Order: sequence, then C-alpha cells, then structure tokens
Amino acid sequence: MVGRRELTVFILKRILFSFFVIIGTIIIIFLISHTLSKDPAALWAGPKARPSTIAYVTKEYGLNKPLYIQLLNFFEGFFSGNFGTDPVTHQPVASEIFYYFPNTIELVITALIFIIIIGVGLGYISAVHFNSKIDNAIRLLYTSAWATPTFLASILAVLVFTSYIHAFPSGGMYTPGLTPPQRITGIFVLDSLLTGNFGDFVNGLDHLILPSITLAFLNFGIVTRISRSGILNVKWMPYVKNAKAKGVNERSINRNHILRNGLIESNTVIAVMFGWLVTGTVVVEEIFSWPGIGRFAYNAITSDDYPALIYVVIIFTILVIIANLIADIMYAILDPRIRLGGTVK
Amino acid sequence: MNIRSQIKKFLNTIFSNWLSGTGFIIILIFIVIAVLYEILGTRIVPYNPYQINLLQANMPPSSTHWFGTDDLGRDIFSRVIAALPIDLGISLLIVFVSSFIGLVLGIVAGYFRGALEEVIMRLTDLFLAFPPIIMSMAIAATLGPSLLNAAISVIFVWWPPYVRLVRGNTLQVASQDFIAISRVLNTPFRKILFKGVLPNIITPLLIYATMDVGTAMLTLSTLGFLGIGIPINTPELGLMSSILTTTFYTYPYEGLIPAAFIFLIVLGFSLTGEYWKFRTVMKHLQDHIRDSSGRL
Repeated sequence: MVGRRELTVFILKRILFSFFVIIGTIIIIFLISHTLSKDPAALWAGPKARPSTIAYVTKEYGLNKPLYIQLLNFFEGFFSGNFGTDPVTHQPVASEIFYYFPNTIELVITALIFIIIIGVGLGYISAVHFNSKIDNAIRLLYTSAWATPTFLASILAVLVFTSYIHAFPSGGMYTPGLTPPQRITGIFVLDSLLTGNFGDFVNGLDHLILPSITLAFLNFGIVTRISRSGILNVKWMPYVKNAKAKGVNERSINRNHILRNGLIESNTVIAVMFGWLVTGTVVVEEIFSWPGIGRFAYNAITSDDYPALIYVVIIFTILVIIANLIADIMYAILDPRIRLGGTVK
Repeated sequence: MNIRSQIKKFLNTIFSNWLSGTGFIIILIFIVIAVLYEILGTRIVPYNPYQINLLQANMPPSSTHWFGTDDLGRDIFSRVIAALPIDLGISLLIVFVSSFIGLVLGIVAGYFRGALEEVIMRLTDLFLAFPPIIMSMAIAATLGPSLLNAAISVIFVWWPPYVRLVRGNTLQVASQDFIAISRVLNTPFRKILFKGVLPNIITPLLIYATMDVGTAMLTLSTLGFLGIGIPINTPELGLMSSILTTTFYTYPYEGLIPAAFIFLIVLGFSLTGEYWKFRTVMKHLQDHIRDSSGRL
C-alpha cells in the first residue's frame, strides 16, 4: 500500500509545477502580443484605428516603455484582474469573461457527460466484440465523427434539428425575453433549479441539449478509442483468465476485473478532454449563439479587440493547465504505480 | 531492399483491414489530384477557380457546373480542386516542420539527457499547455492574413507532441545494449544517429505524422472558416465552407460541398491510421502522463 504522504507530496509537486507553467505561458503570450508584431500599438488599437487612438492605446497599455516594465505591468494587470475595457461594449473585460465563463462550463460539462456515456459505452461494446462487424462499425463511426469539421456538424445539427424537424430551439441559452434567475453559480440550468424555477430549468435544458450533443459527437472518439484499447489490454491478462478458471460469472468478470482496470486510462483522458472541449467551443458557441467565452474570443478577434483576446487566451491556457493537473492527480490516485517515480515497476 | 520490404510491410498492414485500406486509397486519390493540379494548373479544371462571373452566381449543380457556382459565380468544382494543393500542402508543411522540430529537440533531449533535456522538456511542457485553436487564432490575428502565417500559427502549437514522441522513443532505443556498445567502441555520433537511433524511431514518428495531417487540416480549415489568417478569395476548403453562414438556407450546397471534402480527406487520414493509431496514441498518452509525473 502506497502511503498517503507520498500522494500528498506528489500532488503538491504537481501544483507547484503547474503554477510555474502558468507563469511561463503568460510570459510567452506576453512576448507574442508585445513583440511579434512590428507595431504592437497599431495591432492593439485595431486596423481601423485613428492615430489618436493608437497614441491613447500606447499610453494606456504603456507600449512605449522598456519591455521588462511592460512585462511587470502586464503581470500586475493580470493578477489584479484589471484586463482593460472592451471597446465595443464598454464593459470591463474581466467582468465580461467572468460573466461568460459559467455558460461555457455549463456547455462543456453537459457535453462531457454525453461523451462519457457514449464514449465508454461504445468502447466497451467494441472491445467485447473485438475484430467483429460491430467493432468495425463502431470504429468507422468514431473516426467519422472525429473527422467531421466542427462547423459542419454544428450547422447540420442546426439545419436538421431546428429547421427541418422542430425538435430544439435554434440557438441561444434560453428563450429571448426570459428573465434569467438570480445569479448564484452563473450556470443557467443550475440557478433556475436552485431558485425553484422549473419552467426556466426546462427552457434552459431544451437549449442546452443540441449544442452539447454536437460537441460530444465530435469528441467522443478519443474516449471510445482509449476505453476500447484499455479494456483490450486487460482482457487477456492472467488474472482475468484465473477468474474465469475459478468459475466467476461473466458479468462479474466484465464489471469487476476488466472494466475497473481497463478504464483507468479513460478517466485521465476525460480530464484532459475537459481542456480540449473548452477550447473547442469557439465554433460551436458561435454557430449556436451560445454566450460563452469561446464566442467572446471570436468576437474579440472580429471586432479587433486585441487586449481582450490576449486575456481570453490566458484564461483558456490556465484552464487547460488545471485540467491536466486534475488528470495527473486522478491518475496518481487511481494507479498507485505512477506515484513511485513515474515508472511502472 | 530494406526500404522495399518496409513499404511492403506497410501496405500489408494497411490493407489487412478494409477500413484502413479504404482510407489509404482516399488519401492517394486526393494527393494525386493535388499534385496534378500543382503541375498542370488550371488546365485540368473546367473553369478558372478565381474567375468571378456575377451573371452565373449561385447556380445549382448541373452538367456545366458540376458542383454549382458560389455567390460570385465562381465554379465550385474548380475551386475545390484548386483548394486541394493548398489544404493538403499546408497541412503537410505543418506536420513536416513539427516532425523536424520534434526530431531535433527530441533526439537531443533523449540521447544527451542532462540539463539540456530539462530545458527542452520544460519548454515543451509550456507549449503543450496552449489550447491549439485559440492560440492559433491569436497568433494568426497577430501576424495578419497570409497562407504562410496561417501555417506558422498552427505550427506554433503543433510541435510539442512530436518532441515528446521522439524523446520517448529515443530514450528507449538509447538504453539498449547495442547503443551502449557503440558508445564504448567510440563509434562517431553521426553513425550512431543514422544507423542506430533514427531507423528505430522513424516508424512511430511517420505513423503519428501521417495521421496527424488530418488533424492539422481540421485546425487549418477551422481558421479558414472563422476567416482568421487565411486571405480572402483563397480557394481553401474551410474558407469556402464559411459561405454556409450566409447561404445556408438558400444555397446550402455552396458550403456543404467543400466541407464534405474536408471530411473525406480527414477521414481518409484517420482511417488509415486507425489500424495503428490506437496503439501509438495510447502509448503516447501513457508516456505523457507518466513522464509529467512527479518531476520538477
């Protein structure tokens, strides 16, 4: 039995490491945004900016100061939560990100639930019927799903399910005109449930299902693939044979011997996946008019709001790092071998 | 002889499963068409893909315009063919450059170890943390629209997995006895590299890279669809699909056809890889997770 202390040390190390990665990535993003372009001020102000605007932006963000002072200012601005003002809406960027963020989380977590159900389910079926017609069909299905461009799937989903079959509303997070419930978590369906507003809850769910299934459809492939190979890896292990020889029934072998060990890999992939999904929301949110940070990032680019874009990139990057951290920690808890110096003994 | 038997082995593996066999044939067809267009130019397509003809705008598919025409009257079939060398070319460039970076950094880190390895791998960790599409979008927006800039913005986030893959394999090879013996015998590094290390790490890299072309193309076409990084009027499949947002209910074929081609090509690449990929990706992920554990 591996001790609890080892696990704690491992987790602390990983957290510290992630912190350094965050600092490192912020510095890289700073360098890109402040030095890659010949004239950063013109880039920050947007291509249609007047000279006076460029001069204002230069002063506002200190773009004429020495690079290390700019870096310090950048860090100071970031950690004090002062991300500047959105030139289009005239709202502070930080509060806008804070507002849109839970909406993306709502979408991603729902998609993740679908991914786990579809991904692990199909992976299991595929592995049990290894190298059969069913196996091939499932592999064809998940490769096809993965090969579909996000925009194609989203647009087809809108076309088929909202305009040919009127099964779902075509976009948005809830019916326009609806007063959103009191903001508790910021997640619409959760808030409406917490405030006991059942009508809003159903309305929110109705809007949530199509975009999250689309997102899940595009991404379940990797989970299916990993579950399938994870299960195949343990399927022929001696201890499974042993259990069979002892006369343990098929069902119990599948559940306790194969699934439990075969899915360790899948667990961590699902956590890593959270990071991928969050960044994959740009196109889905844009097409489904979902008011999340993916759409916010896209709008920042199309409306030439460069400063907002930089902070969104940082937020996304931090999310990915945290998702990876959680994946590593989960893996260490599930598979004690990992803690022992990183090699399987 | 060696290369011939390698190719034979490769083809045997690919065609042993009808899924990967079909995928391989799809890729081959598209690559041949792209190369032909690159050599022969607009002679092999019925219309000039850039020729605007407003009188012929929004024509449905017919015998004169096989895939119809777009909102500016350009022949969609010709544009799709013209897009193949661009989409395939840039995707291949992205994967090729990433493989090269991966080979150099990965071998240095995996073979020489030491402080250099720490630096390279921690740098790779940093770049691995960037969310690909968002980061590519941001860099493309910073650099301004051009095909080369689009390629650069994707490469920026594309190379880290290659370094991990090459380093992992190099570590395995370098720990084997024949390399240790060569070192003891004072074999020149160049010889060890080309005769000992490279032949043993190149196959997994090639497999991963081939399959990765499809993913690179998805990312590239997403940039095109969002209208970031790729100059307007370029026949690029993603950019051509972006017409869906305006002609979606009226002339859906104008955007659906180029999108369907992206799907077909990416499917071709991923089906080909499917036969191996579940092994390589698995191994790669395991390496990633094990590798990043408990070291600072």
